[in-house]
Amino acid sequence: MAVLNRMDWYDLARSTNWTPNYVTEDELFPPDLSGGFGLPQEAWENYDEPYKQTYPEYVKVQREKDAGAYSVKAALERSRIFENADPGWKSVMKAHYGAIARGEYAAASAEARMMRFSKAPGMRNMSTLGCMDEIRHGQMQLYFPHEHVSKDRQMDWAFKAYDTNEWAMIAARHFFDDIMMTRDAISVSIMLTFSFETGFTNMQFLGLAADAAEAGDHTFANLISSIQTDESRHAQIGGPALKVLIENGKKEEAQKRVDVALWGAWKLFSVLTGPIMDYYTPLEHRKQSFKEFMEEWIVAQFERALTDMGLDLPWYWDIFLEDLKDTHHGMHLGSYYWRPTVWWNPAAGITPEERDWLEEKYPGWNDTWGQCWDVFIDNVVDGKMELAYPETLPMVCNMCQLPILGVPGKKWNVKDYPLEYNGRLYHFGSEVDRWCFEQDPERYAGHLSIVDRFLAGMIQPMNLEGALKYMNIAPG
Amino acid sequence: MNAVNSGQAYHNNMVGPVMRSGDLALAIIEAARIDNPEKEVFVDDKRAYIRIHTEHEMILNRETIEAELGRPFKMNDLEVDLSSFAGQIETRNDSIRFYFKTKV
Repeated sequence: MAVLNRMDWYDLARSTNWTPNYVTEDELFPPDLSGGFGLPQEAWENYDEPYKQTYPEYVKVQREKDAGAYSVKAALERSRIFENADPGWKSVMKAHYGAIARGEYAAASAEARMMRFSKAPGMRNMSTLGCMDEIRHGQMQLYFPHEHVSKDRQMDWAFKAYDTNEWAMIAARHFFDDIMMTRDAISVSIMLTFSFETGFTNMQFLGLAADAAEAGDHTFANLISSIQTDESRHAQIGGPALKVLIENGKKEEAQKRVDVALWGAWKLFSVLTGPIMDYYTPLEHRKQSFKEFMEEWIVAQFERALTDMGLDLPWYWDIFLEDLKDTHHGMHLGSYYWRPTVWWNPAAGITPEERDWLEEKYPGWNDTWGQCWDVFIDNVVDGKMELAYPETLPMVCNMCQLPILGVPGKKWNVKDYPLEYNGRLYHFGSEVDRWCFEQDPERYAGHLSIVDRFLAGMIQPMNLEGALKYMNIAPG
Repeated sequence: MNAVNSGQAYHNNMVGPVMRSGDLALAIIEAARIDNPEKEVFVDDKRAYIRIHTEHEMILNRETIEAELGRPFKMNDLEVDLSSFAGQIETRNDSIRFYFKTKV
């Protein structure tokens, strides 16, 4: 029997829009959830997904991917990679699984919103598969770390992190809630799939895989690069939505969503991926610096794709390029200083050889960030350990929920960007964070940062012990 | 890429797949050369992933990949190791195309 080629029937089979008789179009597709942008149904029927996949193909390919990932895990299970790993590498795994695993389930929910509420039939098909992708990612990234829970209690944060008020998790939740849990279907496609998944997930799932392969952790390298093969498909959900919006005169709205999502992703990755790549990963296993990975994936690949879609570079492009050299060094210094408050054991990563590497990759590092570490090292050498632990709180940005920081030493540029809104004074870490807030202040105004909560008396006793209790960090 | 021009790195026309390493990636490198005879194929091996790029447009034909692999291959089997790609993508029955609409 002759079988039709996929492309001969695909468009017809997935075009499942109909004209409702018993309900109105707005009841079938509530605007708050669908995000029609005031465009008629026909406009969304022009949505043409470039990366097409059918359900039978999906099942076959996914089965093959899983067989690969699980068989590598099984083959290497007795190799004692975890037991023999550098402590810095263990911290990489802990930070990754905690910050990512449960977020994948949240992403499944966001994909499900596009699946049900998007007016574009092609989007509904691709996000059906995308939703199953994200469930796969959640399951795998809980199953793979589970074998290590009995060896190291911090591995339990793979499951636990999202249920806590640990400060980095507040920041992660604030960002993911903003781009995928509280947006309409079309905005999710732009902010989650286009802005975040075609750009930043490559950093964490391929850039980090390159480091993992160098470190000999092939189970992890194989797992995360396999996950990224799903991402490379469903990340294409947003592109055609952008095209529909641009064709219908909605470029400004589309651009704004990209700009807000891109900045938030950058800030989150500056605290998560930056320290992992430039400080925790053992020096001999570093494939490239964080900045070089950013230039490869975000500047050369993502931004080029963005302009090809007909969008502009974000207005803050020059600020972003400047911050690429600095922000993650400050995030690392902060998370090391406040190290009792994270669920991994940060590696300082500042031996003389590592400092040489940092100076080579980031000219001027010793005259800026290095000066802070000099003081730190002197205190430790002099036995003044009490000065090497936090007694005070950092200022935290009311947009990205991360410490407000600037460059110390000879390039000193530390600055607060305040804004008064409805009688409350907000603080931001940059002009861009403040701009993001101002785009939709009611969306963010009610949120309390970890420091706001402290000052409001929600954290008791008001010291490190109370803070650790609030963040669910038990000793050990 | 150096510190001076990194901000301009988006001024490039490189398109093509980023493959997980393995026999499929090797077949894709050969197929890229065969199916795009006028173009230079740039290969950047990062061990966990391999960038396979050409300028502006790259076509990969199913039959070429099948011949290089020496086993049956369906076009959508590419996804098993296609971790990412540069440029826009167009999926067809028996080929796949990476391209940029604009030139910089």
